Amino acid sequence: MGHFAVSAVGADQPGIVAAVTGVLVGTGCNIEDSSMSILRGHFAMMLVVAGPDDLDAARLEQALGDPARDLDLVLAVRAIDDDVPTSPEGDQWTVSVYGADRPGIVHEVTKLLAEAGVNVTDVTTRVIGDADRPVYAMLLDATLPPTIAGSEVGRRLDELGRTLGVECAMHPSEADIL
Amino acid sequence: MAVRPVLRLPEAVLKQPAMSVVGIDDTARALAQDLVDTMRVSPACVGLAAPQIGVGLRAFAVDVSGHRKARSCHGELVLFNAEVVLAHGPVVAREGCMSVPDLTGDVARATRLVVRGITVDGEDRVLHVDAFEARAFQHEIDHLDGLLFLDRVVSADAVFHRKVYR
Repeated sequence: MGHFAVSAVGADQPGIVAAVTGVLVGTGCNIEDSSMSILRGHFAMMLVVAGPDDLDAARLEQALGDPARDLDLVLAVRAIDDDVPTSPEGDQWTVSVYGADRPGIVHEVTKLLAEAGVNVTDVTTRVIGDADRPVYAMLLDATLPPTIAGSEVGRRLDELGRTLGVECAMHPSEADIL
Repeated sequence: MAVRPVLRLPEAVLKQPAMSVVGIDDTARALAQDLVDTMRVSPACVGLAAPQIGVGLRAFAVDVSGHRKARSCHGELVLFNAEVVLAHGPVVAREGCMSVPDLTGDVARATRLVVRGITVDGEDRVLHVDAFEARAFQHEIDHLDGLLFLDRVVSADAVFHRKVYR
């Protein structure tokens, strides 16, 4: 059993998921994890699939060629490690950033987090509001190692937000187990 | 008195509506004790419903004592045949469940609740609960209707990997 990372992006229309997964079923692949969403009008798929031993990345990409052509998808298949890499453990926090759109917001915020040893686990960004007054919004999930105080990272984020002219806040997002 | 295994998806009993309890007898009292005992085994667990231990009856245990998000707190409580009489003010927060491994999700729940049910002493009670206790009550009552938090997440991108395994 080999593992592959499959990505496909194309102008949103009905049938993209059905067409791509049809080929995956046909080649004996099983979707183990996936994230799919519309990004600025384009449907973007990212999948980690497990395939039979005799399947390689080139052959899977070739098999996906038909739906890619029919639906005008940008497609890529790469072999990945069969082992599941582990992420650092710690407390879950959510960082929210919003303000007037300008280049560098994501980079500056994530650079600060990386330097603090914070591991980013999920990022969603959107440009919202009117075209003449766009607002940039980012929601980011992060794991703080036990050695780092959330309040201290929050204070640094608040400072950075002031420099960038955006609202930057952080709150614990540990789920309650009911 | 027994700690019972907590059933997880895809156990069918988790998706079936539970039956009302007819009278609080020795069996019902034993079920109440099992719910409390099993809930106590996981320190982070604040509630457990009968279907989660494989019993298709309308009973759950809850205890939000000491929880930082709790306002109302009735302490350790087992309720039979509980029903929501009034619900007000939905707020979204992240939940996990002992019966749903690996995932958490953002769920809208009422913040103020009037609930009616029967206690382990056979007493009919009307409870006013709010904040975190209200969330816990709604999560447990959902279990009695065969509903999991996954049935209530606010959107497809509101489901997350649970990082800490308890």
